[in-house]
Amino acid sequence: MAVQVGSASASSPVRVMVPSRGTTPRQPPLRAAQGRSGLLMTGPFLALFAVFFAGPFVYSIVLSLRSPLTGAYSGLFNYRTVMSNGEFWSGVVRMGYFGVVQVTVMICLAIGLALLLDSPYCRAKKLFALIYFLPYAVPGVIAAIMWGFLLEPDLDGALGVPHQLGLASGPVQPLDYRLALYAIMLIVTWEWTGYNMTILLTSLTNVPHQVIEAAKVDGASELSIAARIKLPMVRRTVMFTIMLSIIGTLQLFNEPVILNEIATTGSALTPNQIIYNTAFAFGNEELAAAQSVVLAGITIVATIAFFGIVRRRMGPFGATRAAAK
Amino acid sequence: MTVGAAQLRASLFRRHGAAVSRRAKTTVTTAFLAMGAAYVLVPIYWLVVASSKTNSQLFSTPTFLPPAHPSWASNFKDLFTYQNGDFGWWLLNSFIYSSVTAALGATVSTLCGYGLAKYSFRGRRVVFALVVGSLMVPATALVVPLFLLEHFMGLTNTYQGVILPLVVYPFGVYFMSIFAADAVPDNLVDSARVDGAGEMRTLWQIGRPLLMPGIVTLFLLSFIGTWNNYFLPLVLLGTESRFPLTVGLSAWLSSISSVGAQPIYPEIILGSFVSVLPMLILFPFLQKYVARGLTLGAIAGE
Repeated sequence: MAVQVGSASASSPVRVMVPSRGTTPRQPPLRAAQGRSGLLMTGPFLALFAVFFAGPFVYSIVLSLRSPLTGAYSGLFNYRTVMSNGEFWSGVVRMGYFGVVQVTVMICLAIGLALLLDSPYCRAKKLFALIYFLPYAVPGVIAAIMWGFLLEPDLDGALGVPHQLGLASGPVQPLDYRLALYAIMLIVTWEWTGYNMTILLTSLTNVPHQVIEAAKVDGASELSIAARIKLPMVRRTVMFTIMLSIIGTLQLFNEPVILNEIATTGSALTPNQIIYNTAFAFGNEELAAAQSVVLAGITIVATIAFFGIVRRRMGPFGATRAAAK
Repeated sequence: MTVGAAQLRASLFRRHGAAVSRRAKTTVTTAFLAMGAAYVLVPIYWLVVASSKTNSQLFSTPTFLPPAHPSWASNFKDLFTYQNGDFGWWLLNSFIYSSVTAALGATVSTLCGYGLAKYSFRGRRVVFALVVGSLMVPATALVVPLFLLEHFMGLTNTYQGVILPLVVYPFGVYFMSIFAADAVPDNLVDSARVDGAGEMRTLWQIGRPLLMPGIVTLFLLSFIGTWNNYFLPLVLLGTESRFPLTVGLSAWLSSISSVGAQPIYPEIILGSFVSVLPMLILFPFLQKYVARGLTLGAIAGE
């Protein structure tokens, strides 16, 4: 996709007017100077990247190999602690469960809404598309505060209705530790369905008109057009949104922290909460670094595995293709 | 395709039935879409209504009904005077963090993305691999070591300590490299060069106008991302007067649950409303730029 400088310009009018360069499309000295300018342009990013991204990345690995007590090199001691840390792994497994349930529901909702908006039966398409996308502009912290208060029986009288009708022994407590995970699912779905829908809708708009017209002429119903033509044509985008959602799930932090403030749901639910507590509540930065490295590793392995599966089944797409160019 | 007379008549008959079923389908579609919209709008509606209630009204009046006399004025006064007016600082801080990060981030990413798209130089592939590779590294995994490194450098609890890590925006570089490759034609760059313009001047005079839609997208994505960020400033900042809105409001929230705390629910609810209001008002105008940023990454390969 990135076109190299000077590669296509031998026939451009400008080149023709300059005889000395018209004969050879690329002149080495100029090219070298241009190359230097290209490198210079990447300079500011690379400098900041080195200090604030690569630096912490390398440092987290170094730190994770140090003893929490003495600070001396201690090999894989912290990693052995992580491996046998039940709380951390139950957090990871919990996120796996969260991913299977919440990501499935959210992506199905996003696909459904996008197909409805793209169908000829949709009215006020722009308005609906805008409304669904609104939560993207709401910080996760604020989303969690709104929903947290709405799910708190003292503040939301509606949660007491089943009790008043004699259907429950007390007000419904969605922020109870047994239900908190589902409350988080409700909030995360609220925050990100429209985001995924927006990506899918743009992709649907790119489906060639002729294909759909041809199907209509052949008498296909809108439903079968949606299921057999539109959906298969955007399947790569669907995979992309699933992958983004899996990465997001493994990083969950804001929502559980805020709900815990509102209802004191108790223990840390997500790996990132556990890492935060390890570092700042217990002051064990070395162990927290090891946990971070393991979590990053799980995320990267999950991403690559996902890319691998998708690639084998559907051919290269997205970032992998760009990386290969 | 030719349509015979019999077929035409048949399709005309069908069309009458189709008109009825079409109306039914439109109704069903709209009903589903409206349900989705209600899910999105109910909490926002509640936020507006609840922000007009006094503390006792919050616990005594029906959740979704507005009070007889809205107390916005007194709630606003309480919001901006509670704890020496910290909230005003948080609002200002969020603007500073977001706008400075977005301006620097868009500039740095545009330079780098344009450089990658329009030049061939040694190490270009390495830089590109770094950018794409770092898309996979979850930024939250870097927060703890970042805190320790900034501590060595004396950057914790400073504005630049929050801003500089967020200026590093690998997705922005990736986005701009794709955007610039298509938006700036090579022969335009070449003719500027032949006319004797330097590389930076070419970028400024030829590239910048063509890249502007992409730059706006990057600015907005970075602005919203920083405005919404919580984890990073939570870890890096200790002084309340430097907090952004997200960290400040969560601090108020945790003070509610402590023993003998003041019931500051109205302040938190109105504070949340004020935190989302600017973006909700601007969003209809910015939506298309933001959407382009999200979708370009997903569609680039199709």
